[in-house]
Amino acid sequence: MSGKNSRLWLLAVLLLVLALAACGGTTTEPGSTTSTDTTAEQPAANEAAATTEETPADQPAAESTDRKVATFIWTQEFDTLNPIYTGMWFVSITFDIWNAPAWSFDKNDEPVPVLVTEMPSDANGGITDDGRTITLNLRDDIKWSDGEPITANDFVFTYQMIMDPANIVQSTYPYDSIADVTAADDQTVVMTFDEPFAPWMTLWRYLLPEHVLRPVFEAEGTLDAAEWNLAPTVGAGPYVFDEWESGSFARFVRNENYYNDPPLIDEIFIRFVPDDASQTAALQTGDGDLGTFIPYSDVPTLKDAGVNVISVPSGYNEGWFFYFGDNGHPALQDLNVRKAIALAFDREALSQNLLLGLTKPAATLWDNTPYVDPSIQPYPFDPEEAKRLLDEAGWVDSNNDGTRDKDGVELILSHGTTIREIRQDTQAVAQQQLADVGIGLDIQSYDADIFFGGMSDGGPAASGELDIFEWSDGPSVYPDPDHYYWYCSEIPTDDYPDGGNWQRLCDEKLDGLFALQATQTDFAERQQTFYEITRYMFDNVIWLGLWQDPDIWALSSRLQNVNMSGASPFYSIAEWDIQN
Amino acid sequence: MSRYIIRRLLQAIPLLFIVSVILFVLMQNMGDPIATLGGRRATRPEDRARLTRQLGLDKPVYMQYLYWLVGNDWDKFDADGDGVPEAPGQRQGVLRGDFGTSMVNRGKPVWEVIWERIPNTLLLMVAAEVVIIVFAILIGVYSALHQYSVADNVITAVSFIGYSMPIFFIALLSIYIFSVKFQRWGLPYLPSVGMFDPEVGKTPGQVLKHMILPVFSIAFVSLAAYSRYIRSTMLEVMNQDYIRTARAKGLHGRYVIIVHALKNASLPIVTVVGLDIAFLMGGAVVTERIFAWPGMGRLFLDHVSRSDVPVVMGILMLLAVAVVVFQIITDITYAWLDPRIRYD
Repeated sequence: MSGKNSRLWLLAVLLLVLALAACGGTTTEPGSTTSTDTTAEQPAANEAAATTEETPADQPAAESTDRKVATFIWTQEFDTLNPIYTGMWFVSITFDIWNAPAWSFDKNDEPVPVLVTEMPSDANGGITDDGRTITLNLRDDIKWSDGEPITANDFVFTYQMIMDPANIVQSTYPYDSIADVTAADDQTVVMTFDEPFAPWMTLWRYLLPEHVLRPVFEAEGTLDAAEWNLAPTVGAGPYVFDEWESGSFARFVRNENYYNDPPLIDEIFIRFVPDDASQTAALQTGDGDLGTFIPYSDVPTLKDAGVNVISVPSGYNEGWFFYFGDNGHPALQDLNVRKAIALAFDREALSQNLLLGLTKPAATLWDNTPYVDPSIQPYPFDPEEAKRLLDEAGWVDSNNDGTRDKDGVELILSHGTTIREIRQDTQAVAQQQLADVGIGLDIQSYDADIFFGGMSDGGPAASGELDIFEWSDGPSVYPDPDHYYWYCSEIPTDDYPDGGNWQRLCDEKLDGLFALQATQTDFAERQQTFYEITRYMFDNVIWLGLWQDPDIWALSSRLQNVNMSGASPFYSIAEWDIQN
Repeated sequence: MSRYIIRRLLQAIPLLFIVSVILFVLMQNMGDPIATLGGRRATRPEDRARLTRQLGLDKPVYMQYLYWLVGNDWDKFDADGDGVPEAPGQRQGVLRGDFGTSMVNRGKPVWEVIWERIPNTLLLMVAAEVVIIVFAILIGVYSALHQYSVADNVITAVSFIGYSMPIFFIALLSIYIFSVKFQRWGLPYLPSVGMFDPEVGKTPGQVLKHMILPVFSIAFVSLAAYSRYIRSTMLEVMNQDYIRTARAKGLHGRYVIIVHALKNASLPIVTVVGLDIAFLMGGAVVTERIFAWPGMGRLFLDHVSRSDVPVVMGILMLLAVAVVVFQIITDITYAWLDPRIRYD
């Protein structure tokens, strides 16, 4: 082979590889499984965009004009779509799109019956007087996307699969509070509890199709490797799963067997774009119609590009947890010091400047729920009062090094959080403002999988290495206010390293109040208990709120009829429309 | 030659074993895989204890490695938490071709997770590599033949600008200019993210259009180093006696450059390309992330951030094998390019 020929050969091989790669794989044409809507007119502006976008190679563009496709951008890819195996928020919010919650929550976070005829209550007999039995009456016209009816047996099966140790499920909560689930008949589900279970509305946010998955479980002894986990082709939402290409996209198409009015949009195309800046660019150029987890700093850019930005309270509030353990910093045991920290940190300015006024300071961990004592207002910014309280507590700068001290202990507190940009910016601001009143802040930041690591894995917060730790949190399953990690029994120990009370706070009064609310199925009674909890935690600065942390959504102007809920953002997805 | 190849392959076995041990031990410090399973919230204590037990993370590191290497179907584990191991293990181990299942994509075999991304990565990286090599040869040879000319100086300056820019900057800048700004100015613009427009479908034309910016970004930062390398090796070769002899014999100038000079100058370049090709399998972490390209680089990053040890081990071992194989291929290519090299 001559040198010239071999080079030509090499070049030919490279070109062939490129050509094969470009043409390889499945050529996915949209709309392969759905009907098309040809009624929508295409606005002139979009015609111009379509014209400029196309290259001569893109002849199939002509097919695109009639379909209504909404492109959502997710910055995190699904891990699995089987609800029992995932805790990912980016997955769970899709259940209203393709799965079948028994009830959903509207824009006011009020429950809306979906599979049930009405919400169970004391008044309609759905909840017994002792609060230990709850009966769900199912609609008789509900069916899976393959036409099979949805029955009470699907509820029983779902419960069994969550509780069966053969399945390595993500969480057994809140189903581990149920003593039994039975099917009285095809349309009646009966749940019994050993104790009244106030957070019962956190149940049944999804359902497994028994007729699809029971044969798999019986054959394999587990659902861990069921094909349905990654390709749930049978669902019960307005849309049905069509395709998920790893790392690239997931497609949900109109469910032709949907038991309510059919959705207006033909297809929901979820594109996985991990980079925040790229998400912003995609929303600006129209490569995405909806995005979330928008960095606050990108909001003005999006608004300038004509993208609508809305904030939806979802129960999350960013705040500081204080470490109360015996080996912690002595200053944090003193209420005056904790109050001084609250007064010395200008959280209103933080909300206005770093968060661009899109949110406001949080007062409690339950802000934006009806469970907060309405008389509570966030601590004001008052550095002089902070200094007075610190003086009163005996923390003074006796060695003139700029930091207060007491009994030879410097008032320098270690503070840790994740590497999220806004948190690191907050750390810097807090460090400067607390320094102004003589409190030192030693700031640290960690990757999430390290920061949230348990005590046995050396997680800095769980192991008590930090005096203050910051993240955004809310009730166990919003909009229910239940919380688990304030109980004394949740303090991590050598025998119980997985305890969730990383702040090591054991307060008998609080313990009793949390135990009480969990059994109060009457809303008004439970609300009063939470008023007491929120007031007590606020007055004692047990948790310091930084800002209310609503979900920030960016919506293209093409999207119409959009209503979102913090608890279930896509509860009304079937009513959404999009202009082509 | 065949004895040489067999010897190199045998040498690779203990090497890969040592690599796997080191990687596995290092990975234990990567983070807590259970920590992020709770989504936006910390994993509940009851679930943490159960998952740790069910996923076998409560075992000592050497046992976890043993399970990874030879499987755990000879052992039992405690699935229900009663303290009595009763459930038989399901894994067969790497030595029997089972790299386990992903902790993130629960139940999905590691090879399936990786295999889905390889075509996308090869598509992007081979295209980028071809662009880099072709343009680097053209630029490098031109610069060498026109040393210190205006064009050479301009190319040198641009090369250094490209070389000194971080790829994330080039990538974001290219999106900003060619997608966002071009659209705003009413010019034909390029798509910002993904592999295709969902309203059109995954056609070859769409994929090619979506490849332009990521390929440009990768090529722009890599082209500088390659072209400078080719320039310097070409300059060295062009001063050799055999080039002068070839010219003295009356051979055509272009023939001398391509057949005599470039072939000899490409020997050290093959070393660099050989290493690069192995790492093509690993994808481009930053570029794939920014352009939302579903390749191996993003896969690695996504699963590292969630401490998914089985998938990360699978990717790293694949890369280790690729490096070994492509080093052998590189050695063979040396012999082809330079007949003086003999391995037997």
